[in-house]
Parts: sequence; C-alpha cells; structure tokens
Amino acid sequence: MQKKKCVAMLLAGGKGSRLHSLTKNLAKPAVPFGGKYRIIDFPLSNCTNSGIHTVGVLTQYQPLLLNSYIGIGSAWDLDRKDGGVTVLPPYAESSEVKWYSGTASAIFQNLNYLDQYNPEYVLILSGDHIYKMNYELMLEHHIEKGADVTISVIEVPWEETNRFGIMNTDAELRVTEFEEKPDVAKNNLASMGIYIFKWSVLREYLIRDDQNPDSSHDFGKDIIPLLIEENMKLFAYPFKGYWKDVGTVQSLWEANMDLLDKDCELNLFDQSWRIYSVNPNQPPQYICPEGEVTESLVNEGCKIEGEVSRTVVFQGVTVKKGAVVKETVIMPDAVIGHNCVIEKAIVSPGVYVPDGTIIKPGESENDITLVSEETIGELQSN
Amino acid sequence: MNKQLLGVIDATTVHDDLQELSIHRSVAAIPFGGRYRLIDFILSNMVNSGIQSVAIFPKFQYRSLMDHLGSGRNWDLNRKRDGLFFFPAPNLDKHYTGIGTLDHFADNIDFFERSTQEYALIANSYTVFNMDFQPLLDWHIKSGCDITEVQKEGKSMGIYLVKKSLLMDLVMTRNETGYSNMRDVVTDIDSQFHLCYYNFEGYAAMVDTIENYFRTSMDLLKPEVWKQLFLKERPILTKVKDEPPTRYDAEASVRNSMVANGGMIEGTVENSIIARGVKIGKGTVVRNCIIMQKTQIKENCILDSVIVDKDARIEAGTVITAPAESPAVIRKGSVQGVGSGS
Repeated sequence: MQKKKCVAMLLAGGKGSRLHSLTKNLAKPAVPFGGKYRIIDFPLSNCTNSGIHTVGVLTQYQPLLLNSYIGIGSAWDLDRKDGGVTVLPPYAESSEVKWYSGTASAIFQNLNYLDQYNPEYVLILSGDHIYKMNYELMLEHHIEKGADVTISVIEVPWEETNRFGIMNTDAELRVTEFEEKPDVAKNNLASMGIYIFKWSVLREYLIRDDQNPDSSHDFGKDIIPLLIEENMKLFAYPFKGYWKDVGTVQSLWEANMDLLDKDCELNLFDQSWRIYSVNPNQPPQYICPEGEVTESLVNEGCKIEGEVSRTVVFQGVTVKKGAVVKETVIMPDAVIGHNCVIEKAIVSPGVYVPDGTIIKPGESENDITLVSEETIGELQSN
Repeated sequence: MNKQLLGVIDATTVHDDLQELSIHRSVAAIPFGGRYRLIDFILSNMVNSGIQSVAIFPKFQYRSLMDHLGSGRNWDLNRKRDGLFFFPAPNLDKHYTGIGTLDHFADNIDFFERSTQEYALIANSYTVFNMDFQPLLDWHIKSGCDITEVQKEGKSMGIYLVKKSLLMDLVMTRNETGYSNMRDVVTDIDSQFHLCYYNFEGYAAMVDTIENYFRTSMDLLKPEVWKQLFLKERPILTKVKDEPPTRYDAEASVRNSMVANGGMIEGTVENSIIARGVKIGKGTVVRNCIIMQKTQIKENCILDSVIVDKDARIEAGTVITAPAESPAVIRKGSVQGVGSGS
C-alpha cells in the first residue's frame, strides 16, 4: 500500500442529546443542514477539496443511517482503490467489547487502521461543525512550525469563552496553556476540535493514555494537557471564516438562518469549494400559482402552495395552500398542512403538520420550537 | 425474472425543426424540465421496468449524450453483467430513417448475439412519458404477438416490442425483405407477422419541433401532467449534480414555475421552467420561458416566450418577447443585449 502523507480521522459518534428528538434515531453528524446537506458533508467535502483522500469515520451512536449515507464514499469522490473512506465502528476483541469511551480512545482503538497507512500526519476532525476549511494550509503551517501538534483555533466572542476550550499562546502561536471552559478567559482563541498530529507522537501518547487508569481518554481533557505539560511543540493555527458548532436546536437553527444572508461567509454557491452531498433524484421544485417564496433556500422535489419567507426548505417538502411559514427550517419530506402558521421552528424530517396548526415563538426571543411527532401529539391533546 | 427485456434506444434521429437546440447535441441530449435530458425519460422507464441491459445507438453529435450518460451509474446501469452499452454509427454518410435502423443493428450484431434477454424493446429517444413496460411484455406474450407497436390514441409512439430472435432474423434478412427499420416492418400491409398494437393511456409527448418542445415543457406546469410524469415509485433518473438549493431573494416573486437547484432568483418568474444554476437579476421579469442551465439574466430584463439555451448571458435591460405559438430561441453560450454587438 502506498504510504500516505496525511490520513484524516473523523469522529462521528456524537449522540447529540441537546438536539433532542432530531437525534433520536440518528447520529448528530447525520442531522440535515442547509436545505440538502447533512452536517458530515462539510468535513468530508473539506477533506476531498483539501486533497485528503483517506478518511476513517468513527461511528458509534445510531450508525445505521450514517453508514448507509456514507456508503462507499462516492458522493464525496472518496471511493478510492487505495484509501478512500472507511467506516470504523467499535468492535469486540476476545471477550472485551471496546466501546469508544472518549475521543482519544476512539482513535486508539483504530491504531491498526492508521498503522496500515503509516502516514506522516494524522488529521483529527469532528463531525458536528459547519465550516469550510482548507486542511492543506493547516498542514503547511504545521510543517513550517515543525510542530508535534497543531490545533485549529478561532476567535470567539469574549462573552462566550466559557463555552469553549481556550488556547493561550505566545507570540509565535506556540500553545502554552489550555483551559477547558474557563470562567475568566485570558484570551478568546477557542479550539475548533481540529488537530494535526505527527503520527509518531500521536501513536506514543495514545498508547500511554490507554495505560493511564485515571484518564478519561479525551483529547481536550487528557492528551492535549499532557503534551503541554511535557513541553511538546503545540501550535495554534488561527482560522478565519465561518465556523459553527451546531450542537443545539438554537445553534442549528441559527446556522441555517445564516445561509439566508447573501453575504454569509459560508457561501454554498462557491464552485471552487463545493460541498458535496448524496444528491436526491427528485424533480425541480414547483411553486404553485398561489405560492410565494422570498429570502429562502428551497431544494428539489418541493411543492410550495403557501407563503414561505426566510426559510430553509429541504427536498420533498410540501407547503399547502394558506400556510404561512417564516424563519423556519423544514427538513426532508415534511408536510405543512393548509392554513398553518409556523414561525421560528425546526420541523423534523417526514413530520406531517396538520391543517391549521399554529406554532409561534414563546416569550423568549430565541425560543426555537422543534416540531416533531411528539410536539404535534402534544398540540393536539391540548 | 426469466422473461427479460433488452432495452434498445435509437438516438440517431435528427429533427430539422429542432435544429436551434440540436446544433451542438443530439436530440436525445436536449435539456428538458429544468434538470433532465430527453433521453432520461425512456432510459428511466426501461430501468424502472426492470430492464438491466440497455444499448444506445447514437449517430451525430453524441459528445454531450455520452457525457450525460457516463458509466450509467445514475441509472444503476454500471454493472459487471449487462448495463449500459454505446454503439455509435460507424458510417455517417448512410442516411437512416425511422426508429430501429436494421443496418445500424447489423453493425453491432455481436451484441445481440451475446445478450441473454429473450425480448427486445426498441424505442426512440425523445418521448416524454412515464411507462411501465412489464404489463406491455406480459400482454405481448399472452396475445401471441410477433411485434407489438406502442401507440397513443392510434398514433405510433415509435416503440416496438419483439422477440430478440425475430429481431435478429429481421436484421439478417433486411436485404431480401427490403425492411430498413422497425417502421417498415410494422407498416407492411403484406406482413407475414402477427402485428399488435398496445395503447398507452398516460401522458406522452414526442418532442420533434421547437413548438412542441415549448408546449411539452409548459405542460409540466400542469399538476395533472407532472403527477403522471414524476412518480415516487418510478422516478425519472438523470445525471445528478452537486448544486445547492435555489436561493430566493427578498424581492423575488415566483409563480407557477418549476425551478431546479443552484439558482439565484432576485426577479419575477411566472409560468416558466428554470434549470440548474440559473441567475435572474433584480427587476427582471421572466414569463412563459424555458431557461436552461447556468444562464444568467441580468437586471431589468423582460423575457416572454423565450427559450434560452445553456450558458447564455442576457445583459441588463434587454427585452426579448415572442408570440407564444412561436417562441424565440437564444442559442447556447450566446450573449444578448446591450453591448453584445448583436
């Protein structure tokens, strides 16, 4: 097998419990986003566009849909004879079932996958962020700095620093301290959960970490602090551009709304950095004589008879006559019944919203309603 | 399935009246319905009817057709056994007429000899319809027919079902019989064969003039028509592209139109078919039009009853209108309007 320069490991096991019923039957990376994509399309497309054609996808929670979605990777041009995409689920070894207990344990349990490629570098990604990034530039930065580890960072608003892992660096961008969700942060450079490791270093630290009974086997909590403590060369790579963790209903809704902004940095129409996806084969969208669509994204196979504004509409959606939908995300194959009024909501895939349903935001400005089978049931019983 | 069908698509046809759209492409590859090509309908119908081996017989300008079909992956025809076959005519001087030219088949007789299917369905490449061929095959066998012609309201649809062994006999004896294509066989009043006619009840339109290309496209805006064409259980398959969803601007106004992905709509669109990746600028009105892939229409234009072919650019402030019964055609890749010099 040809020696690989860089192999990507994509952590896609996230349960995403803060997305509530959206992740009841599917892993967070498989959650639909942006009218036609799934979250995992972003890191996978970034890999292809960055020239990284060997990607291990580590799955764990509700993997069925994710596995069949990834398939042989052809949607992202990752169906390669040498390399390509490989789904890496947890497995049983002799009498022991090796469930992934943390991000580091997930990679550790797939050392044999990495060993077979024996790459120079390993890129570690998570499957729940929306962004476009050229990993090749980050790798160049890593090589230039002679780093053992490079961690991609982004400036976050100061008031949100307590939600992130914060990197403190010197003038050369060398990481001197890592603080997980600090109360009072010394700076606003947050880790994006994207790491490039020298493979030899990663291998050694993963083995040591596995033998440490006190470790929680997590990159942020265990591996990175230990590397800093032992004075290894860790560098920050400042990323400028759109990046969003879509782990909550609110942030998922916000990221979808961001796409409606014409000047959004996450330009889906950029031909030079396409986001690839499994394309549904559906007829073009049909806007009826009574339909009206403004400031929205609408995918194929939709039938719009009502009024839709500032809304992201996935494939196969029907909005019936008299319905008014505003600032909402309608996921695939959902049906909005006649004369419904829906504002600031995420409508789950395949949900049938009965005629005349009214869903409006509550007291709080940022109250986003997740419309699922359960919500509909509650509304009807009230 | 033991009663298997071999699909044979005749893509040699040239319609003079479609020339504006077929200068750079075969009729089979003319874009239709915002994201399809004409051949997608017959090809999808074959695949959806369980046909696993399809032979395409093209003649002129088939680069775009080959590019569209590729390995056949989008139709699930990239198979180790059977799949998609391409047999361009070796001789461009020979003039073919009708559907299913026996000379063209004779040049590729090995293919027919090797294929394992018992029956062959020979069809044209430019009919817009959604049809299941299995009931046709069952009926053909039950009725003991030699050749069945599919008809719509008594008119030939240019689709023939025949036992493959009989097709090969017709090919071998074409010089003695004088039959040069399937139509000759079926229209011979002294025919020794048991000829049958099968009536297709659903929507079907053969696209052979600019007028009926336009009319058939506009038919798609009638829900009773698209409900017959675009069925969940028998989808029309096509080459898929990675286009984002279409973006509608705050000032956009779109009514009674079909819009494919990747578009940016800022103006007004009515009774129109908008293909993938089309941009329609602010203040522009597009009415009763067919706008093909990646065409850009800048600000403050008025277009009525116009077919704009792929990759065209309509400069700001351009007005192009035509009577509905004879729509204007803007050629592929051309630039129209202010400063274009035309």
